[in-house]
Amino acid sequence: MNEQMMQSIPLSTRIRLARNLKEYPFPAKLSAEEKQLVNETVRDALLDGDDAGNYRYIEMKDLSSTEAVSLAEKHLISPEFASSADGRALILSNDETVSIMLCEEDHVRIQVIEPGLSLDKAWEKANALDEKLAARLTVAFDEKLGYLTQCPTNLGTALRASVMLHLPALSRAGLMPRLSSTIAKLGLTLRGTYGEGSKIVGELYQLSNQVTLGISEQAAIQNLAAIARQIMEQETAARETLRTDNVFIDRIYRANGILQSAYMLTCSECTDLLSLVRLGAALGILDVPLDTLTKLLTAIQPATLSVQEGRVLPAAQRDVLRAQKVKEALQNA
Amino acid sequence: MLCQNCSKAQATTHIKRIINGEATEQHLCAACAKKLGFDSFFDDFSLSIPNFFSGFFSDAVPALAGRKTERCETCGSSFDEIVRTGMVGCADCYETFYDKLLPSIQRIHGRARHAGKTPPQVVAAEQTAAPKETAAPTREQQIEALQKQMQQAIDSQNFEQAAVLRDNIKALREEQ
Ligand SMILES: [Zn+2]
Ligand SMILES: [Zn+2]
Repeated sequence: MNEQMMQSIPLSTRIRLARNLKEYPFPAKLSAEEKQLVNETVRDALLDGDDAGNYRYIEMKDLSSTEAVSLAEKHLISPEFASSADGRALILSNDETVSIMLCEEDHVRIQVIEPGLSLDKAWEKANALDEKLAARLTVAFDEKLGYLTQCPTNLGTALRASVMLHLPALSRAGLMPRLSSTIAKLGLTLRGTYGEGSKIVGELYQLSNQVTLGISEQAAIQNLAAIARQIMEQETAARETLRTDNVFIDRIYRANGILQSAYMLTCSECTDLLSLVRLGAALGILDVPLDTLTKLLTAIQPATLSVQEGRVLPAAQRDVLRAQKVKEALQNA
Repeated sequence: MLCQNCSKAQATTHIKRIINGEATEQHLCAACAKKLGFDSFFDDFSLSIPNFFSGFFSDAVPALAGRKTERCETCGSSFDEIVRTGMVGCADCYETFYDKLLPSIQRIHGRARHAGKTPPQVVAAEQTAAPKETAAPTREQQIEALQKQMQQAIDSQNFEQAAVLRDNIKALREEQ
C-alpha cells in the first residue's frame, strides 16, 4: 500500500471530552452569573503559572458574531457555541490546537485538534487537561454511568474522537452511501461536510465514534484508528484506478486552471475545486504542497475571510477576495 | 413549520449550522435530517434536537400522571421537565430519577456499564472507603494497590493524580 498516498487522506484528528463540575447544576439550569462563576472556576483550575502564557481566556460576548463563526469554521468551537454568547467562555491555546468551550451543553468541553491521523497524540493532550481538571475540581461521575453529562447520549467516557478524511475517489465511484451504512453497523458514523443545502462539498467526511458507555477510551480510539486506516486503504486503491482516466485527469488540470485565474469564487465552488487539486497533488499529477491546500480549505471560509480582512464583507466582495487569496497561495506554493 | 430542505414534511429536528459565514438554525424533517447525516445523536456534541431526543423518554411519562411531582432536591428539575427538554438538570438528577432514566439510557446505550477512566478522587474514595464485605482488602493491600497506581501515574507523568494518591497512602498509613 502506498503509504504516502494513505497519509494524504486524513486532514485532521479531533478529540473532545465533556465534563461537568459536581457542585453546579448543568448549564441549562444556570443563570448567566452562575455560568460566569463556573467558567472562571475552570479557568483558574486549568490556567496556572506554566500554562497561562500559552492560552487565552475569551468571554464569547467580547467577540463579534463573525469572529465566533470563524472559530466554528475552523472547527475550534461548535456551531451551537457560536450561535449564542450568553454566559459562555472559551479557553483557546495560542497555536489553536486546544480549545475548551465553557458552558456549552456541558460545563467543560475539552477539544484537541491535531493535523493528519494522530489519535494517540490528541488523546494524550486532552487526557492531560482532563487529569489537571479532575485533580483540582470535583467532576460529576458515577461508577456505573461514567462521566455525567447534560444529555444522556454522552454518558460513559463522554469522549468523541473524530478524523476528517478526504475521500474524492470513493465519492466519485458512488461508494459512500454503502460505506456509511457499513460503518454505522460498526458503531461509528461517517458524515459528509455539507454546504448550503444537502450537497456534500469538498468530498470531506468526518469519521467519529458513537459508543461512549461500556467501552474504554483506548478501545474507542484504537477501533476508530483501525477503521480510519481501512477507509484510507480503500480510498488509496480507488485513487489508483483514476490514474489512467484521461477525462478525470483533464478535470484536475482544469480545476487548477480555474483556481489560478478566476476573478471570483464562491465558497462551495472553491472547496470543490480545491478538493480536485488536492487529489491531483496526492496523485503526483500536480506539484502543489498538500499542506497549502489543506490550509486553504479553512482560510477561504466566509467568516474567516472577513476576520482576516478586519471587516464584514458582502458576499460578492468576499468571492473576489477568495479568488485573490487562492491565486496568491497557489502561486507562492 | 415545514422542513427547510424539502419544504414538504413537518420539521421535527432543529440543528445549528454555519452557512455562508453565519450561525443559522435549520429546521428539518426526519427524512432530510437522516439524509443529511443528522440522524445520529452521537453526531456532534453540538447537535440539539430536544423533540427528537425526548422521544426516548415518552414511554415513561404516563406512569407519573396523578402523582405528586417529585423534584430533584439540588436543581429543582422534575422528571417531566427532563423529558420535555431532553436535558438532565444536574448530576444529582441521575441519582434521584435513576430508575426512571434507566430504560431510556439502556435504549441509547444498551445494558453497558462504564468501562473508561475514573477521576482520581473517585479512585481514592474507593480505595479508602472501609469495605464491609468479608473479603475486604487489608489496609496493607490497599496501600500496595495505591502505590501501584501512584507508580503508574508517575510513569505516565500524571503528577497531580500521583500527588492525590500519595496523600491517600499517607492518610492510610497514619490510620494504622
Ligand atoms: Zn425534509
Ligand atoms: Zn437535579
